[in-house]
Parts: sequence; C-alpha cells; structure tokens
Amino acid sequence: MKKVKNRALCALLIVGAMVLGLGVYIIRFTINGRDWVSAAFNATVYNGGVLSVGTLTDRHGIALARITDGRRTFAENADVRCATLHAVGDLRGNIGIGALTVFAPQLIGYNIVTGANSLTGRGRTVALSIDSQLNVEAYRALDGRRGAVMVMNYQTGEVLAMVSSPTFDPANQPVISDDDPAFEGVFINRTIQAAYTPGSVFKLLTAAAAIENVPDIEMRVFECSGRHEVRGGVITCPRAHGNVTFDQAMAVSCNIAFGELAIELGGEILATYTERYGLSGRVTVGGMTTAQGNFNAAAPGTADLAWSGIGQYTNTVCPAAMLRYVAAVANDGVAVEMSLLRRSSPGRSTRIMSAATAERLGETMNHHTEANFPGLRMHAKSGTAEVGGDQRPHAWFTGYIANEGFPLAFVVVIENGGGGLAQAGPVANRVLQAAVQGH
Amino acid sequence: MEWLRDLTGQLANIDGYILSYAMLVIRFFLPFLAIVIVVRSVRSLLREKSEAETWGYLSLPNGMRIDLNHWENVIGRAKSSDVYMEYPTLSRAHAAVIRDDKGAWRVYDISSKSGAMVNGKEVAGKDGLPIKAGDMLSLGGVDLVFVSIDEHSEYEQAAARTRPGVQYKQRTTLAFLTQFQVLLGIHLTVALGERASFAVPLSFLGLIVLTWACYIFTRSLKRVAFEVETLAFFLSTIGLAVTASSVPADIVRQLVLLIVSVLGFFVVGWFLRDLNRAKKIRWPAAGVGFLLLCANILFSETRFGARRWLEIGGVSFQPSEFVKIALVFAGAATLDRLFARRNLVSFIGFAGACVLALAVINDFGSALIFFVTYLVIAFMRSGDIATIFLSVGGAGFAGLLAIRFRSHIALRFATWGSAWEYAHAGGYQQTRAMAASASGGLFGVGAGNGWFQRVIAADTDLVFSMVTEELGLIIAVIAVLAILSFAVYSVYSAGESRSSFFVIGAVAASSILAFQMLLNVLGSVDILPFTGVTFPFVSRGGSSLIACWGLLAFIKAADTRQNASFIVKTPKPPPSSDIITREIIEPEIIVPEGEV
Repeated sequence: MKKVKNRALCALLIVGAMVLGLGVYIIRFTINGRDWVSAAFNATVYNGGVLSVGTLTDRHGIALARITDGRRTFAENADVRCATLHAVGDLRGNIGIGALTVFAPQLIGYNIVTGANSLTGRGRTVALSIDSQLNVEAYRALDGRRGAVMVMNYQTGEVLAMVSSPTFDPANQPVISDDDPAFEGVFINRTIQAAYTPGSVFKLLTAAAAIENVPDIEMRVFECSGRHEVRGGVITCPRAHGNVTFDQAMAVSCNIAFGELAIELGGEILATYTERYGLSGRVTVGGMTTAQGNFNAAAPGTADLAWSGIGQYTNTVCPAAMLRYVAAVANDGVAVEMSLLRRSSPGRSTRIMSAATAERLGETMNHHTEANFPGLRMHAKSGTAEVGGDQRPHAWFTGYIANEGFPLAFVVVIENGGGGLAQAGPVANRVLQAAVQGH
Repeated sequence: MEWLRDLTGQLANIDGYILSYAMLVIRFFLPFLAIVIVVRSVRSLLREKSEAETWGYLSLPNGMRIDLNHWENVIGRAKSSDVYMEYPTLSRAHAAVIRDDKGAWRVYDISSKSGAMVNGKEVAGKDGLPIKAGDMLSLGGVDLVFVSIDEHSEYEQAAARTRPGVQYKQRTTLAFLTQFQVLLGIHLTVALGERASFAVPLSFLGLIVLTWACYIFTRSLKRVAFEVETLAFFLSTIGLAVTASSVPADIVRQLVLLIVSVLGFFVVGWFLRDLNRAKKIRWPAAGVGFLLLCANILFSETRFGARRWLEIGGVSFQPSEFVKIALVFAGAATLDRLFARRNLVSFIGFAGACVLALAVINDFGSALIFFVTYLVIAFMRSGDIATIFLSVGGAGFAGLLAIRFRSHIALRFATWGSAWEYAHAGGYQQTRAMAASASGGLFGVGAGNGWFQRVIAADTDLVFSMVTEELGLIIAVIAVLAILSFAVYSVYSAGESRSSFFVIGAVAASSILAFQMLLNVLGSVDILPFTGVTFPFVSRGGSSLIACWGLLAFIKAADTRQNASFIVKTPKPPPSSDIITREIIEPEIIVPEGEV
C-alpha cells in the first residue's frame, strides 16, 4: 500500500501543470486584459464594431464623441464633426485609426476588478489635445481641397489641430462610391497615413546637414544662373537668383545652391540625416504610427543626388514626420513625442540636433512679412513639390511661430494645390491667427 | 393627473435603482461565498483529525508488534513495504497479507526468494493461502504470529475514531452553498427578465432541494462527511447558471440530468461499497465500455467535427463519457493483482483500444484524456517508468500521424499561441473567450448579463471563459481549485486507504477530472491548443455531467475517515452483552504458538 500511495503522487503532476497554466493565464489576464477588452468584437463595450462606452472631448471639454441614449454620437456642430472626423473616427470603422480606436482602452476604463463593465456602465471621459475651433478653421481654410493640416505645441508635444480633407459628417455619412473624385481617399487620415513628395521643404534637412558638415557654409556664395548642368541632367531654378549666400539661398529657395550642397554632402550623409530626423522612417503620434517616408541615396555627382537634396527624386515625407522635425527645430533641437491627449507635462523628449544647429536653421527660416502673416513671428519654409506628368505640384508650408506664449509648430499640405506659399501659406495663416487671437 | 404620472415615474426609477444596486451587491458577494464554500470544504477534507485504522498485527519473535493499517499489506525488507523488517533472509517485497470485504485474510507470496509458509504449509500460486488469527506465518525463516482484530474490536475502534465535521460543520458549509444558490438564482431571474420565465427560479429551487435531500439521505445512512458532494454541488450550481444564461429553455432538462447524475453517483457508490462486487464488475464494465465505443464508430453522427454522439431511442449521448468510468473500473486493482504483469497487459490492451476508437471518431480531446488516465493508472500499478515511456513513445508517434493527417487538428496547432493573429479564423473562439473574460474582471458582468454565451460552444468547451465573463475570475479560479482539490485529496487520503483498488480508483478518477479541466481551461484561452473538451460539472450537457458524478463516487470511496463515506462500510454494533467479553479475546490471541 505504501508503494501505491507513493505512486499516487504522480497525480500531483497534473495539479501542478494546471496551477502553472492557470498562473500564466492570470498573469496574462492582468497584463493583457486591457487589450483584450478593446477588441472590436467585444460586445461588452462595442456595438456593431463601434465603441459603446466613453466620451471624447477636445482640450476645452467640448464633446467630440459621446453616448446619447445608448448610441454613439458626435459633436453637436456639423463643421466640428467634419473637421475632427479623422482624429476621432466614425461609426463604421472606416477611419482605421481614430481616437475611438486608439484610445479604446482608456475610454473603456478597464480595470481588473470590474473588468470592462465600469460601475457606472458609461466608461470614461478622455480629453484630446485637439482644439476643435482650430480644426474648424483649418477645415474651412482647406475649403474642400485635398490635403492635411496639423498644428502642435512643440514644447508639450500636444497636437492642437489634425485635419484631413476630404472629409464627411459622421452623423450623416453620405453614400460614397469608390470612384467619386470628391471623396478620393476620404477614409485616409492624410496627416499621418500619407507620404508626399516634399519638394523645397526638404531643404530644411539639406540645410541642417550643410550647417553641420560644410565648414565654410557661412562664407559660401552660390552662383545661380537659373540653370546648372550636372552629370545626368540639369538643375533649374524658376529664375536666375544671381550670387546668393546660404541665408539668401534658403530665403529664395534656390535649387541650384541646394543641388550643389547635396552633391557636396553626398547621398550617404543625406540618408543618415533623413533617418536621424525621422523623415524616412515612421514616427508616432500618441498611439498611432505614421506612414513611412522614403529617401534613396543617389549616385555621387549626379543630378538625381542634387534633386534628392531639393526634395524631389524619389523622396516622400509624411506630414506628421515633417511637423515633428520643424517642431524640434523650434524647440532647440529636441523632438517631443507627439500626443493626441491633453497633457500637463511634456512628453518624452529626444534630442535630434544640437541647439546651435537648430538656432542657425531657425534663423534661415525667418519668414516674417506683415503682409502675409500679420502679427506672426513666422519661421517657415514653403515647398512646391513637382509630382510629374501634367499634375499640379503639391503645396507645402511648414514651420513654427516664435510669438511669446504660443509655442506652435505647423504643417500644411495641399495635394496638387500649386505654389506652396501662395496656396498653403494662407491656410497656415488662418489657423495660426485663430490660435493666437483665440487665447 | 400629471403629478401622479410624475410620482409613479419617480417610484419606478427608485425601484430600478434599488434593483440595480441589489444586483451589484449580489455580484460582489457571490465570489466571497464561493471562497467560503470551497475553503471550508477543502480544509475540512484535509484538516479534520483522522486516526489510522488497524486491522490486525504481526507479532515478531522479539516480541515487537507491527500493526496492519490496511486491508492490503506488503511485508518485506524494502522501506516502502507496509510491514518493514530488516531480516537479511527476507526479500524486498516478500509477501502480502490481504483482507477481503468479509474479514477473511489470505497470504500471497509475491516475489520472495526464500518462500512463505502458513503453519508450515507452503504459500504458492496466484490465489495464496488463507490465514486466520493466531496462525504462524514464516517468511524466509522469520516466524511471525498473525493476529486480526475481530468484529467487536472493529466496532470499538470505529467508535473511538474521530468523525469528520467537528471543526467544520457540514451543515454550515451547506448553508453557505444554499445562499450562493439563492443569490445566483435571483440574479439570473432578474438579469434574464422575460427569457427566464418561471423555469429559472423553479430550477434553482429544485437544485436547493436536491442538495439538501442528498445531504439528508447521507445523514440517514449515518454518514457525516459531505465535503466532496458540497464541492460537486457548488460546481453543478455554476453549471446550472451557465445553462440558464445560454439556453434558459433547457434549464429544467439540465436539472433533471443533474438529478440523474446524483442518482448515478449513489449507484456507482453502491457498486464500490463491496470490494468483491466492485472487482467482479471490472471486466463486464470494460466490455460494455468497449462495445459503446464500437457502436459509436458504427452508428454515430458528426457534430462540430467529431463523431462523438450516439443516439439511442431519441436520447443522444456521448459514449466516451461513460467509458471513462469503465476505464477507471478496469484500471483499479487490488494489491494481489498488481504483482502479476499479465493483469497490466490486459489493461494496456483495453486502454489502447479505447484511445484508438476515439481517434477513429476524431475525438482527440477524449483520446488525450484516456491516454493520460492510462499513464496515471499504469504508473500506479507498475511503478515502472520504462513501460510508461514505451507507451508515451507510441502515443507520440500516433499523435504525429494524427496531426499530419487530420487537417483541422493541424489548424488548431497552427493557431496555437497566436490566437490574436488569427482572430477571424482559427483563433476566433479563443479571442472571443479572452475578450469576454477580461470584460468580466474579478467579479464578472453578472450572471445572465454576458454576450459570450452567443459564441458556439461557450457553455461547453469555452465555459471557463463564460464563467469568468459572467461570474468573474475569482469564481472561475475557485471552480478550478475545487476540481484540483479532488486530486489533492485523493493523493492525500491514499495513505489511509484500505485497498489499492480504492486508491487507484480515486486517483484515476480525480486525474480524469483535473486533466479534462486542464485541457478545457488552457485550451480555451490559447495556452494549449484548443481541444474541445468539457469542464467537469460546469459545462452544459448530460453525458459529461453523469460521468463526472460517477467518477466522484471513486473519490468518495477512498474516504476512510470514520463514518465519512456511505461507500465505506462501518462495522455493525455487536449485541450489547458482547462488549464486555472483549477483554477475554486478547489473551486468546497470544496462545496459538503451542497449537502449531
């Protein structure tokens, strides 16, 4: 009997395996429960794929998405609804990564004690960093043109405006056919899910690389005759700029000067800087990962290399990544992690360039003209990105303002919009005026 | 009129508030009750004082006495022998003295080199020799006097042993269980609203009556322990709540099945009550089991990918569930049988045939359970690691073939561990299970409030998550621990057991329950591949429930605490005058030497 009794201990192996497995499960339950409840098929908090608990507000407490009579509804004002569609999300889950999806765990307010079923049954309120009024200004300024507008506080990393156009009213979603030009790519959030040929705004990168790698950059004089032949092609400027210094080259956006600098720096250095500044990789905005940009190092001495330093060739950049870059320039070379959530203290910071480089680059961006930007101490760069064929170029305008108390960086892109300063500039002006005067 | 409407509206609101707060209180109170019920039951099983039984003793030449604490005792030089003596002429496991139900003893020579004799007569053959009090037992030249206790001493011993239920009153634990059942029934009735009809509250009332009827019946048999039954009723209560929530219309049927299961428990218990009877039905049970599986192969219908259902006269059931009881019957054996390899071989044959039959009908979950049970039993019987490894190797090969040829099993292995990547394919059920479970948190969304019951097999193969969702992780974990406590108790009580038949039976039965639960729980939450087996007592369905209660009888049969189990016989009280004569018996026993 004693033998049989001892052998009986083998049953404890099963008990041990069960306890072990259960332990693993409880650990996973504790750690991953938050993610599990956020799955869109979880009927405890989703109804037909739409989160049925939680309230999203803008930074001033204006409701952007809430539950009314058990159903998901959006902002009261139709323009606010259209302007915040991509940042918030829609009823059918067509907007892939809106705040309703990304912040589902916070909206559900999961905790292990009560699970997804909060005691009130109404979920939590999450305040976004978005200012709905700025979004509306941007939406109106774009006036139906395809494009993206983003404004952020470069000290805290909070995103104040995130507008993508075209858009629609999530409360009255229209029937959208696939080939309707008015709704081309309407479900894409162009601020983070698209990457465009940057054109001249890319000179901000070439300039930074030149400041750090060309010893006599301050002494340089570039000769611009409007046309410069390089191996494998020709670099052109819209007109002959004559002899220009580095600052002047930046101010007039001289292609020939920057083409020369690009060839001098070489593809490898440019590629390294593109990667360091996050323009070719992916960056994150809160929980959202942006589209990837592109930069190919062209062969030494070629026109391709020159054009790549001017933001043409195969270059593409995501608007949010460009914003992060100019925000870092504004913030003494430190990139603050962007967030869609209102926050009181700055997010995680990463120094991407020296303070000296940032300051010098900021000087070259001086764009202060009362006529175009009254009251704004504008530091910016425009871009008119050629996209080939008979398409109009993409209009870019990106930079920051140095007004006291308004640490704001911005990016505006209008797809096939035409001239950067002429088309994107006024959009930036309208949004920033609202930001400065609204306070 | 306006003010009247206002007032009634407000009253209705207040009513609503009170009701929802009451529901909230119930939700948070149920886990507390569950903990109390299971902790009290388990502590009672493991902590109640229980003295060893003594059935006789051997007198050594030097005058020492060695007690025989079991019905089956091995004598030898090995430390693992029940009667352990350091005589060089003794073999390691020399002989066995074994008592049967009626109190008749026999001696078996198991593997001695120097032989065994009773009163000078050589012990040989598989049937051994009878031995009675006062007989001289010679083992390798060592002379021992065998003494068995008589009925009077047995009665006195029984009267002196501590009965369970002293520290933990069974009635009190049961009262907690009743509270649990009442509150759960109320919550379900309110939460389900119109879906509940009268069937839900009535069924819970029926469940409470059944629980107490079973207790009263046990008490009427003068048995005082009810922990094992309490745990099973606790689990079955959760099972009834699962049925109420997923298929309210089926709840009466589920209650009837529970009543049948409890009756089955008593029937199997009655078979086990008499060791001779239990031994006799071993092979008939195995035969019926095998025939059931054959019938299953020939006439079964396919549901959810496995042909595990059989329909006879309009009642459909899963034969494999009942064969589990047959497997335990076939595997359990008394000590004298353990030493003959032939007996093990026929058991291996039976178990192998069962596993194969289950593989043919595509029921790999059950096949796995049978295989693991076989391993447990084979190890308990032979203690031979080599045999075990050999069979593990064979099964591993068969398993490889199975994965190779059965595409849907291969799919389950392919999605294993990465259910979230296949959330809309192979990981569909597991991801829903995890999302629903996490939604419940520690206290659940409330019985009857879940959505997970709409997922296929939520109330059977995925029931652990359904319980977590509706009743919370605490109750789900407590349910797991309740099943594990059966296994722990079976091992714990093995040392006190009368016969190895009961030890093997209890350990095998509790291993089936524990392993089946392991597959169910860990499979449904993607820690193991999803095999689709039921959670003992909790999953909805009849065959499984009946089989679980049947297996429970084996666990109850190993409970040798005094007057604990109706399956363990207690000596009848002798006529009152006889008690005095007990004093005379003692000297009478010491006499025999001269007689030989």
